[in-house]
Amino acid sequence: MVKEKLHVLSDGGYETKGHFGPYGGAYVPETLVPALRELEEAYLRSGQDESFQKEFRELLQRYVGRPSLFYEAKRLSEQLGGARIYLKREDLNHTGAHKINNTLGQILLAKAMGKKRVIAETGAGQHGVATATACALFALPCIVYMGEEDVRRQKLNVLRMKLLGAEVRTVTHGSCTLKDAINEALRDWVTNVEETFYCFGTAAGPHPYPTIVRDFQAVIGHETREQALKELGKLPDAIIACIGGGSNAIGIFHPFIPDPEVRLIGVEAGGTGNKTGENAATLCLGEPGVLHGAYSYLLQDDDGQIVVTTSVSAGLDYPGVGPEHSNLKETGRADYVSISDQEALDACSLLCQTEGILPALESAHAIAYAAKLAPRLSKDQVIVVNLSGRGDKDVETLAQYLEGGADHE
Amino acid sequence: MSERLKAVFQTKPAGVTRLISYIMAGDPTIEVSLRRLRGLADHGVDILELGVPFSDPMADGVVIQAAAERALSAQMTVKKTLELVQEFRKTHNTPLLLMSYLNPLLHYGWDRFVEDAVEAGVDGFILPDLPWREGQGLRTRTEKSVGNKLSFIPMIAQTSREQDIEAVSQVTEGFAYVLSRNGITGGEVEIPDNVSVFIESLRDSLQIPRCVGFGIQKAEQVRALAKICDGVVVGSALVKAFAKLDQEGLEEKDLIEQEKEVFTWLASLKQ
Ligand SMILES: Cc1ncc(COP(=O)(O)O)c(C=O)c1O
Repeated sequence: MVKEKLHVLSDGGYETKGHFGPYGGAYVPETLVPALRELEEAYLRSGQDESFQKEFRELLQRYVGRPSLFYEAKRLSEQLGGARIYLKREDLNHTGAHKINNTLGQILLAKAMGKKRVIAETGAGQHGVATATACALFALPCIVYMGEEDVRRQKLNVLRMKLLGAEVRTVTHGSCTLKDAINEALRDWVTNVEETFYCFGTAAGPHPYPTIVRDFQAVIGHETREQALKELGKLPDAIIACIGGGSNAIGIFHPFIPDPEVRLIGVEAGGTGNKTGENAATLCLGEPGVLHGAYSYLLQDDDGQIVVTTSVSAGLDYPGVGPEHSNLKETGRADYVSISDQEALDACSLLCQTEGILPALESAHAIAYAAKLAPRLSKDQVIVVNLSGRGDKDVETLAQYLEGGADHE
Repeated sequence: MSERLKAVFQTKPAGVTRLISYIMAGDPTIEVSLRRLRGLADHGVDILELGVPFSDPMADGVVIQAAAERALSAQMTVKKTLELVQEFRKTHNTPLLLMSYLNPLLHYGWDRFVEDAVEAGVDGFILPDLPWREGQGLRTRTEKSVGNKLSFIPMIAQTSREQDIEAVSQVTEGFAYVLSRNGITGGEVEIPDNVSVFIESLRDSLQIPRCVGFGIQKAEQVRALAKICDGVVVGSALVKAFAKLDQEGLEEKDLIEQEKEVFTWLASLKQ
């Protein structure tokens, strides 16, 4: 339980919606307040708008390829001994990750709002690619901010974004990763707010983004529920997902929150160790604070400065996390654990060699935790892992690892 | 509102308007910041804004981002910033506002922070990531603990809605920080021609003094704005002028001489 002294922002009540317990809010420059309100209104309208919903559903089916497979990883389960492991195959979506579910929804909102210019941030490049894809499909100009370090380690995705017609702007300050890309995208937005739609990539940031992104990603959880009931005749015993900002995790968790018999486990990046700066395990090792517009857990130093994070996986290399996860931690409904770089890399090989599936390094963190948990459960228990993306983008990092040089600095 | 801050708006300004300056605490060192605060106060600055560095200043342009980085690499902290203000208060009465982001202040512990801020002689805060609607909790809590000694200076943007602006003026003491344009701090983006129309349009809804900031760096801008507002803020242009001196590697006595030219330039803006 968090020290009471920190929840002072909520004294005297909230004027805005968008809180998850004490977490959330919209701590942004005044200039952006009306833009967030406009977005919230457009989002609420879209929920009532049958033609919007129909277009979104059809895009998910015919363009993304949903529903994604619910696949029993038999050889993996056998090798580990214990629970049966199922994979929710978001890696098979068009563009190779769950991110496309959210970007199509948001770009439909941008269109409904009459916005003429789209900006986004990206870490692993998957959200950047998914935004560039949706923008190409709807003929909107797209600018993606990406930290210099991530541009280096996710080259394939940089190239894909360019091919899709997006402009990639390299961010060269701070830690040169996702956090700094978000800062820069926010600076662009506050400057060009009237005509710009900010397509936010994870279930974090100021209200209403955590809610919007969660709702667009909840398709993962709804399908999983239906597929599990159909195939197993019961709900899974545990659901495991990796946590960067928390969008693939909240997407698969959300429909199961009312079912206490389903354990929800979020897996953070343990990096190279537990000391400050060596990891990106925000919920495991951080404290609440305000970054990027929301009150939520953060990795920070003794003076409230945000610390530089480390992870082999660009998509998890972020010192913040979505506010709904902070609340799920506080209420105890979900558990959060961490997996080291080495464990994630090993899990990547394990999945390749047992199932012929190359996972994204982000998703490999979830696989690694499943590999720890499965042997402790019985054969009639079921674990579902959200396989959030495929690993093509990570082959260079993996090559270094295979060659024995653990250079993922 | 503190007596110090109140006095600024109760009397007519010396010069065409009131001048508000911004520098970053600890950039490049605590001693130099203190000397500059004193120099600014001695050269007719009406209100001082003192930045508390934060690692992720999302509302700041490159100049102030760089200042925050310099201050942080010189180990500046919230606590040392408060000590700096306390030192300044021994000699000067110019009102001083801390400008920062929420996280370092929350992390210090808000209740302790506001007590220590009053004790040090701070007059209020400007928090770019605390929009008016979200500030209710902190304002109430602050008032309970230290009364109305600390003002929360609201920011008014070109995008703000009229009902919000009215609500702001009903509860605010001090002044409103009116943003000259959408965007971040710094002179990279021009102030649009329509700024005067915007400020005029606030006449009915915004019933507290209006000070305009973001991107102000020239005397013509100040003269034009002076007619329609109650004060102007000069931030990035000042930070940049000092940073340029700091990069020249001057002897201390030469640096002090050159700083005087910056003070004189700043003072000349409101002549
Ligand atoms: C494949 C994949 N999984 C997971 C993530 C982490 O993001 P989130 O926590 O929002 O799902 C990313 C982010 O880039 C990703 O590309």
